[in-house]
Amino acid sequence: MSKDKTFLALADFLIPAHGEMPAFGSVCSFADAEKALDFRVDLKEGFHRGLDADLASSAEAHLERLNKEDGAAFSAVTTIAICTYYMNPRVRELLGYPGQESVLYDSKATQIYLTDGSLGHVLARGRKYRPTPGL
Amino acid sequence: MNVESLSERGARARRDEEVDVAIVGAGPSGSVAALHLARAGFSVVVLEQGEWPEYNDYTGARPEHELVSTKLWHPNPNVRDNPNDYPVDTSTTDINPLMFAGVGGSATLYGAQWMHFLPSDFRVRSLDGVAEDWPFSYEDLLPYQLEIEREVGVSGLAGDPAFPPRGPYPFPALPIGSVGLRGALGMERMGWHWWPGSNAIPSEKFGELNACVRRGTCLTGCPEGAKSTTDRSHWPLALKAGARLVTRARVKEVETNEQGLATGVVYVDANGRDRRQRAKVVILCANGVGTPRLLLMSGGAKHPDGLANSSGMVGKRLMMHPFASILASYTDPLDSWRGPFGQQVYSLEFYETDERRGFVRGSKWNCMPSGGPVGVSGAIGSKVYVAEEGRFQDFWGANLHENVARRFGHSLIWGIVGEDLPEEENQVVLSKDLVDSDGLPAPQIIYKVNENSNRLLQFNIDRCLESVRAAGAIETLVSTPVRESGWHLIGTTVMGDDPKRSVVDQWGACHDVPNLYIMDASTFPTSGATNPTATIMAVALRNTRRMIAERRNQKVA
Ligand SMILES: Cc1cc2nc3c(=O)[nH]c(=O)nc-3n(C[C@H](O)[C@H](O)[C@H](O)COP(=O)(O)OP(=O)(O)OC[C@H]3O[C@@H](n4cnc5c(N)ncnc54)[C@H](O)[C@@H]3O)c2cc1C
Ligand code: SF4
Repeated sequence: MSKDKTFLALADFLIPAHGEMPAFGSVCSFADAEKALDFRVDLKEGFHRGLDADLASSAEAHLERLNKEDGAAFSAVTTIAICTYYMNPRVRELLGYPGQESVLYDSKATQIYLTDGSLGHVLARGRKYRPTPGL
Repeated sequence: MNVESLSERGARARRDEEVDVAIVGAGPSGSVAALHLARAGFSVVVLEQGEWPEYNDYTGARPEHELVSTKLWHPNPNVRDNPNDYPVDTSTTDINPLMFAGVGGSATLYGAQWMHFLPSDFRVRSLDGVAEDWPFSYEDLLPYQLEIEREVGVSGLAGDPAFPPRGPYPFPALPIGSVGLRGALGMERMGWHWWPGSNAIPSEKFGELNACVRRGTCLTGCPEGAKSTTDRSHWPLALKAGARLVTRARVKEVETNEQGLATGVVYVDANGRDRRQRAKVVILCANGVGTPRLLLMSGGAKHPDGLANSSGMVGKRLMMHPFASILASYTDPLDSWRGPFGQQVYSLEFYETDERRGFVRGSKWNCMPSGGPVGVSGAIGSKVYVAEEGRFQDFWGANLHENVARRFGHSLIWGIVGEDLPEEENQVVLSKDLVDSDGLPAPQIIYKVNENSNRLLQFNIDRCLESVRAAGAIETLVSTPVRESGWHLIGTTVMGDDPKRSVVDQWGACHDVPNLYIMDASTFPTSGATNPTATIMAVALRNTRRMIAERRNQKVA
């Protein structure tokens, strides 16, 4: 089995379709995973080791074995799968995640806790610190 | 001059030039000392093993952020694996020390949560009968705290009844967002203390710092240049005042003469060559691990147990603030990937000792957003609240989607910082086999979370669960004590009056070597439970001012 097929089989087991969310393979390709891997060259070795299998057994059995016997390979394959998936624009759209966007705000606007009385309750509960002058 | 062009400035001292002061480390403490000494007319050279931050490398604004930051911006130097850091032998510790090497120091990755120590922190022996009182008080330090706040550009709201009255912060508090409001709601329902977060993140443009735009990636470097770090807040001014900064300069030894006075330092430069920087005074600002490491590496045959160590206290009493975290998910949206990823709200409800609880001293809680989908999934070990045990299937398949749907955008994290009591067995020593990229011995950490801390954390976790449930949490995940949480490194060259029991005096001068100073948190007799950087910078300023005032009386080689 080629590496890309192996990876997609593992990734689809890890990230199957569920409710509104698509399976890995229906929105991401092996090329996307390779692009992600370029950001993490430290994972390359483990990633390729993790795909070095003919998957005669099921994807789950292979992952189970990797998890027990080759933690670095397991971690590389799963990290690349999940990060590639959640970097995907369609997946982000479905989640309602615009990324770590910047948000403008008015630093002088009156904060709600000042007007709804909640901070007033904190003040009403009184002093909390232990004064120390003279000690 | 803008901050990007600074790295070209700050040339090395001339060969054999003796400067007034050599400082080791360009983090918050070293930067304060450098700025104020240079302004007072001292010739200053700072030696820093790391480099200037490259803001384009902060990936916060890019899609690959969660993928890249778990390696490149990981706070554990052993994971980051960057030759500018030294590795740390963590085989004998319950908690990994976290730090970063570079101009700006570990604050490059800090959450910028800005808290003063409380009055009782300086008087734990008098009030609670444990550890030692500090040689100075909350009131003594307050003017320096307020001055540092103005230099750093802190935003916050004055009037917190958990502190003595104080003047306004330089900038208004950042918006606390839905996460902070939900955290506050739980505290309100319990009738407990909470307050809008104070952060070293100006809410408006300030000097070289841009206004925060709530990108929420503060803990992995702020791509906006909004989080206050000293490469932007202090170094532009320090260089202008004449301080010189040598990067990729790893100090391997503090040298002394026959009279036992410091004469300067030896460092390995970027090309791997040994160089000597002569100085009348040497100041160590290399943090609670790097400073004792350097003293233990220094001293030669004359001081086989390390320099300035006649008390035997160098490296001892390491405190790292054992930490627990609670992730709580809610049905309604909280936009919980938005920043600031400092503290949106904090609580000091359980800060002071109440012996009925079965432990002494207390905790500080901070409420933060939970971040992006990869982090909240718990599927890769990047976040502090991920349990280490468990079947992998629990995090994958349909479970992955359900976990992300429940948590992403809908959850908050309360961090619980517990005061750590000093114990001599908890210490920094030199590793026998691990070395850094220059072949120098790495520090080894010997540290156990003690019984007081375990009880303290459990009590606080139970209370925190009550609070988040009172605000409607539908799921909670607890992690305690979090292994990757040694962000506060304190106590390893303790200050005191008695040279037999302490390493430095209350001004940071070593009892054994009067022209060798320590100005980082290594000197703190106790740890408090608040984030320490405000206090670190204030103590560094207090010591520096004293050094300037006493310049004519300073003993030098
Ligand atoms: C992930 C993380 C989050 C944090 N969050 C907060 C927070 O929200 N609020 C808060 O108050 N604090 C926080 N902290 C702690 C804060 O970063 C530190 O308290 C602060 O940086 C300490 O300042 P320092 O100057 O004493 O030491 P450091 O900032 O550690 O600087 C020491 C410098 O010395 C250099 N150095 C060490 N040894 C040598 C040597 N031999 N030769 C040359 N250079 C050397 C290092 O490279 C480093 O740059 C956090 C820390 C981390 C890691
Ligand atoms: S929240 Fe503000 S300080 Fe933090 S990374 Fe974003 S812009 Fe920078």
